[in-house]
Formats: sequence, C-alpha cells, structure tokens
Amino acid sequence: MTPDRFSGQGRFAGVGLGLRRPHLEAVAARPDHGVPFWETCPENVIGDGGRPHRDACAILDRDPVLTHGLAISLGGFDPWDGDYLRDLGRFLVRTETPWHSEHLCFTSVDGSSLHELLPLPFTREAVRHTVARARDLQAHLPVPLLLENITYYAELGRAEMDEGTFITEVLEGAGVGWLLDVNNVYVNALNFGFDPKAWLARMPLERVAQLHIAGHKRFGTLTVDTHGADVIDPVIELMQWTLARLGRPVPVLLERDNHIPDLEDLLAERARLQAAYDEVLAVPMRGGGHG
Amino acid sequence: MAEGLTPTPTLALQRALAALVLDPEGATFEEDPAGFARSHGLLEADAQSFQQFSAGLAAYRELARLSLLDPIETMFPVTRALLVREGAWEACIEAFLQARCVASRHYRDIAPAFLGWLAETGWGQATWPFLLELAHAEILEVLVARFPETGFPSRLHPVPEPRDHIVLDSATQVVSYRHAVHQVSEEAPVPEARPTHLLAYRDGEGRPQLMDLTPAAAALLTRARTERLAEAAAALGLTDLAATLSLLKELCDRGAIAGFQAAP
Repeated sequence: MTPDRFSGQGRFAGVGLGLRRPHLEAVAARPDHGVPFWETCPENVIGDGGRPHRDACAILDRDPVLTHGLAISLGGFDPWDGDYLRDLGRFLVRTETPWHSEHLCFTSVDGSSLHELLPLPFTREAVRHTVARARDLQAHLPVPLLLENITYYAELGRAEMDEGTFITEVLEGAGVGWLLDVNNVYVNALNFGFDPKAWLARMPLERVAQLHIAGHKRFGTLTVDTHGADVIDPVIELMQWTLARLGRPVPVLLERDNHIPDLEDLLAERARLQAAYDEVLAVPMRGGGHG
Repeated sequence: MAEGLTPTPTLALQRALAALVLDPEGATFEEDPAGFARSHGLLEADAQSFQQFSAGLAAYRELARLSLLDPIETMFPVTRALLVREGAWEACIEAFLQARCVASRHYRDIAPAFLGWLAETGWGQATWPFLLELAHAEILEVLVARFPETGFPSRLHPVPEPRDHIVLDSATQVVSYRHAVHQVSEEAPVPEARPTHLLAYRDGEGRPQLMDLTPAAAALLTRARTERLAEAAAALGLTDLAATLSLLKELCDRGAIAGFQAAP
C-alpha cells in the first residue's frame, strides 16, 4: 500500500467524533451538528436492532463515516468468522468508508473473547503471524485496511525488538496503512519512559491515513488509556507536531468511551481540537515520511 | 477455535495472558509471576519477562475483567443484589469467567452469554430456584429492544378475522415464569412464587414495552400462531370472540403483533 491509496479523501479532514449510543437520538435529529465525519464500530451496529439502531443507520446513511473495528483479534489465532466478515464487507460498502481500521493486538483466545486490547509479543514470530493475518484480512475487505497502535502496559514475553520496530515491520510486511493513535504513543511514552516525538520521528509516517486522539488517566504508577477524560494539552500539542510532520491534512478522530459527556460538551471539545488542527494547517507544512 | 493448534510461542503467550485474566489462579499472579509463566509452559526467558512486567500484566486482569463484568453488573442489578446479599456474587462471577463462554465479538452479547451460562449450568438454582427466571426477566426488555430487524410475510392484514393466525413481531416475546420476577427490586430481590405471564414487545418507535398478561391471553398468543383464532380462543374458554379480536387488534396497533394472516 502506498500513500496514494489515501489520496482524494478530501471529504475526510478535520476532527471527527466517535459515534456513541447515548448521542444517537440527538445526532439523528440534528443534521447541523457541524461534525465533519463520524467513526463507528461495526461490531456495535451489525446485527443490532431497535430504536438506537434505526438512529445509527439514519446517521450512517446521511453523514460521512469511517469504520473502526474493536474485536476481530487481528493478532490472535482464532479463525475469522465468515458470516461476520461477509456482513462487515457489506457494512463497509454501505457506509462508503474509504478504509477500515482494526487494532494491532489480540482480543480472543481459543474462541473466548476477552473484550480487551491485549498486546502482541514483540518477536519475529509474532511479526510473521500478524503480517499473514493482516494480509488475509485485507483480502476479505472491500476497502484498504489500517492498523492502529495500541496502548500497552507490559511486554508479553521476551522482546526481540522494540514496539516501534514491531509496528513498522507489521505495517510494511502486510502493506497496510496506519491509524496512528497519538494518545496511545503519549501514554506508552509515560509508562515506558521515552520521548514520543523521537519515537514518532523514526516511524513510517508515510503510511498514516488517520489519527486518533483521546483522554487518559493515571492510576498509581500506571497511566491508562481510558477514553474517559478531556484531551490534555500535551497530547494536543503532539497531534499538532504529528500533523506538521506528516505535511498532509489527515482526519483526526476524537474518541470518548467512558464518562461520556452531553453532546454539547463533546461538540465543544471537538471544536477545541478543530481549532488546534486548523492552527497547524494555517502554516506551510513540511514533508512527512521517515524522520 | 485454535485449541487444536500446536502452540507456537506467540499462542502460548496469549493463552497464558488469557489464563491470567480469566482463571482464579490469576488472583495470586503477582506472588510469583515467573512461576505462573512456567506453569503455563512458557520458556524461561518469557518467565523472566513476566517477572519484570508483573505489574502491567496484572493490570490486564483488572482491565479485562472490568470490561467483561460491566455489562453484567449493569444488566442484572437485582440478580447481583441478591447474590451480594447472600455472599455468592464473587463465586458466581468467578465460575462464569472460568467457563470462558463469552465467544461473541459483539459487546452487547456479554450479558446474554451470562444468562446462557446460568441456563446451561444451573449455577445457584438449587439454592435459588428462581435465579434463572430473575436474570431472564432483568434482560428481557434489552433482548427485545435490540432484536435484529427482520422482514415479514407480505400478506399480513391489520384487523384480525376468526379464521386468521397471529404473526407476532419478530422482536416480541411471550414469556411465562413461575415467580413474579418482574416485581422485584434491589432492596427486595426475592420474588413471590406466583405464575406470571408477560408480553415484551417494541412499540412503533422501536422502544421496548412490557405488559402483564392473563394466563388465557398468554396461551392465546402462543396457540393462535399455529391455530385459527376462533379455534384457539374456544379451546381456551374465551367465549367473547369479539372482545378477543379487539384485544388482538390493539396489540397489533401497539406493535406487538406484526399482523394477521388467513390460515390455509
């Protein structure tokens, strides 16, 4: 995959919002919400029914949408669910999303779903396995696949490489795009003691098609990617630094999954991030790519 | 599933982390992280890594359990209140998690998986014979509210005739319990032993509604799906057919009944 595959996606720029159940009725009734695009989780829509489902479908049929999977267990060993992949493909076509993203992690083991983003070992064997899974998943999807870097709280087993090398080898080996979560980079930097900008500067930024941004919280010695608080200024500044480094106006998505505020408050948070986004785009951009 | 696979080092590590999250032994993981890793067949280098990153690995047990248990505690507040009062909630949750029966990738399926586990195992029902009914009643409206949209036969009509069958809306459920489990609360979670019949359906706005039924009405809504209305009503001793048809018309207007279809 080359960055060209993401060109011509001008309708996806600026700062969008994750579409969440508490806001469905209000958003469906309000076409003038001002949000340039939404991101939705297919697992939360496919196979659902009732009033919230009707509202979600009305929004997805009306507004620009990106799709973001939660629990396909990309790096796991359980076989794909063929029925789900078929439904997912139809859903991606229906939403007209330009790409579909999944997490670079595993979520199920031996048929048991843990509903948590669990880290993969940073090993050559795990790279080979994950590359094969990503290539196979891409072959089942009607749109390009992006993988998202996760927050992790421990290395799983003895590492043969660092996280950045692991991510790079998977993205390049599978030939897929990168959903770069800048909050996850920031949280990992806090937990493992590294400089997030130096980390990003050596990553394959030419593969970035979209950014995620969110809030986090510290519990004792561990900082957790809670998606339950406002985005703090250092993370906004890291988003701006990344956008400038990319030299392209990729879409940024604000995630909020816990302590979800009223829609008006979330719209205000989005507007604050949009202003930061516009501030970067107002100045001439440098070229992106490997630091 | 991957159980038949020869465990590669990556799969072995994933299985060890799943055991740390789901199994009771994970509660004492931090006492001997390397020993835990060795007991799961991991290599010595991986065992030392488990020792080095024990705090972060232990955090996954807490985070994943929060993720799995939040929908259960939200959807079954009365069941939880009863079992907390009886000192049995923790044992119930441990048994459920260790059974590893959450297979679906859909987060909304976690709570139904708990209900399914109660039904399959009979857990706690020797002590609390109403436990399964209680849990079912707690989740009934949610199951109805989120039932997937489906189509209907094309020739349904909205006004019932004596020769018709009933076609319920696909989301509608007619349920019968041996206990009045719909009248409990977190403060008073033990139901009265009294036969109870409920109709759960989605109204025209797609929102769930619950209605008490008489035994005869519940039986009619079941029998008249395969028998002609007049015959089912007569068999149940409902002698005022006009009143019965009027009730069914009202249930159709409310959305519980999709329509009526002439019997062949």
